[in-house]
Amino acid sequence: MTASNETQMSADASADTLKLRDIVKRFEKPGQGQILVLDRVDMDVEGGAFVSLLGPSGCGKTTLMNVVSGLVEPNSGTMRRGDRDVSPNDLSLGYIFQEPRLLNWKTVAENIEFALEARDVPESEWEERTERYLEMVGLGDEGDNYPTRLSGGMKQRVAIARALAIEPEIILMDEPFSSLDEITARDLRQELLEIWQREQKTILFVTHDINEAVFLSDYIYMMNTDGEMFAKRNVDIDRPRKYDDPAIAERETELYREFHENVVH
Amino acid sequence: MNRLHQSLYTAASLVVLLGLWYAGGLAFPEVLPGLPETLAALITVLTTPGPYGNMFYFHVWKTIEMLFASLFVSMIVGTILGIALGRSDSLESTLSMWIYGWLAIPSLVIVFVSAIWIGFNATSGYFAVPVVITPFIALNMWEGARNLDPDLAEMAEFFGAGRFQKFKDVIVPQLAPFLFASFRSGLSIGWKITLLVEAFLLTRGVGFMFKRYFDNYDLPTMMSWLIIFVVFLIIVEYGVLAPLHERVMEWRPEAEGVRVTE
Repeated sequence: MTASNETQMSADASADTLKLRDIVKRFEKPGQGQILVLDRVDMDVEGGAFVSLLGPSGCGKTTLMNVVSGLVEPNSGTMRRGDRDVSPNDLSLGYIFQEPRLLNWKTVAENIEFALEARDVPESEWEERTERYLEMVGLGDEGDNYPTRLSGGMKQRVAIARALAIEPEIILMDEPFSSLDEITARDLRQELLEIWQREQKTILFVTHDINEAVFLSDYIYMMNTDGEMFAKRNVDIDRPRKYDDPAIAERETELYREFHENVVH
Repeated sequence: MNRLHQSLYTAASLVVLLGLWYAGGLAFPEVLPGLPETLAALITVLTTPGPYGNMFYFHVWKTIEMLFASLFVSMIVGTILGIALGRSDSLESTLSMWIYGWLAIPSLVIVFVSAIWIGFNATSGYFAVPVVITPFIALNMWEGARNLDPDLAEMAEFFGAGRFQKFKDVIVPQLAPFLFASFRSGLSIGWKITLLVEAFLLTRGVGFMFKRYFDNYDLPTMMSWLIIFVVFLIIVEYGVLAPLHERVMEWRPEAEGVRVTE
């Protein structure tokens, strides 16, 4: 573990910082024995921050995020917040997957109600929440439409509304824009940042796209293919950020160089 | 192609078929019963009591009763079996060979064995027909259960959906096309087996009527019975199954010809 902490967190922020320590995860692969996916990984997710997990494909980013989500049980390691050990069940989480993962046989509004029902939100609140969050992602008129009639970008907007509708503190996002065309993806990133700032959410964002990570994040964790977290880097660029800001390109180049040294041997 | 065009094509195919039949009946009277004779026989069947003083609807009803009772049982057993096979690897390894073995048993053998075990009565039929069609339904549902989307299961798991909500909102809708396909194949196979049972073992039902008029070499009356039951099955398909299928599947993009922009 060579993670160097560039930031000194304020005492305030550290109280609701989610701290993962020494997370180890091994998977059994048929014919290959055990594979070490996460090698004693540490990660701090500060409250209200936009945090990215950056790394090449198959490096265990999604696995690490799923340790937070509870979909993956680590072999060892702790997750703490304040002075207490926490489990995924103690956290208020939303999830936006790489694919929209909508129920195609339900209307857009019913897809959001599915999550509300699953989270035991009282039925009396469904209509108001569905309307509110569909409006927020710009799909106020699509509630009665079926997902199969929507474009890829619109489907991912529905998935964002679904994650927001359960009103989580932390939103987990797993390469949510990677299957969209670049123009659609850029629009969605802008809107995501606006929503994040207005709604005061914490976002943990998995990506393999350095430019995307720099544009979006407050700080970036970088992983290599050996399951090690080798760096934590800040992005000190004022918001709102612009795609053509030379500072973004510059930071991207620096991080790329670092990646190249650590990942490509 | 709009609806009017479709019905015109359907009507045209019917007219051509009747025309060919009429011409064929004139050309090969020994092979093909003439159209006028068949119509006359059909009217007789529809209006006068047949053997044992029963009207045609009694026999049709008896056949329907056996067919649909068997389908009901087979759909339940076959669906449970198929889903269990698709969900459990160990069950799949244990049972898959036997399912294929079961499928390989000729239905005629099942009917005969039922008669020996149970006797020449309707109970044999209520046993034999489900035994024949259940593996077909299980095979279909097995395929459906294997194709359940793990991503959706993970999504439902993450959001914390309960067992019932997962079943009703995530699993059943994915299985719906397979349920329809199972029901259709069960219906078409089941009706053939029901006829076998009635022809060999019973003294009522459409199968028995075929047997009886076969013994008399009465081809026009056999044709009339065939027409009656084929019309019934077409009504079931177009009157019940197709509209239901369309309703359940209305979310599909092609339902309104809308192109998905991906």
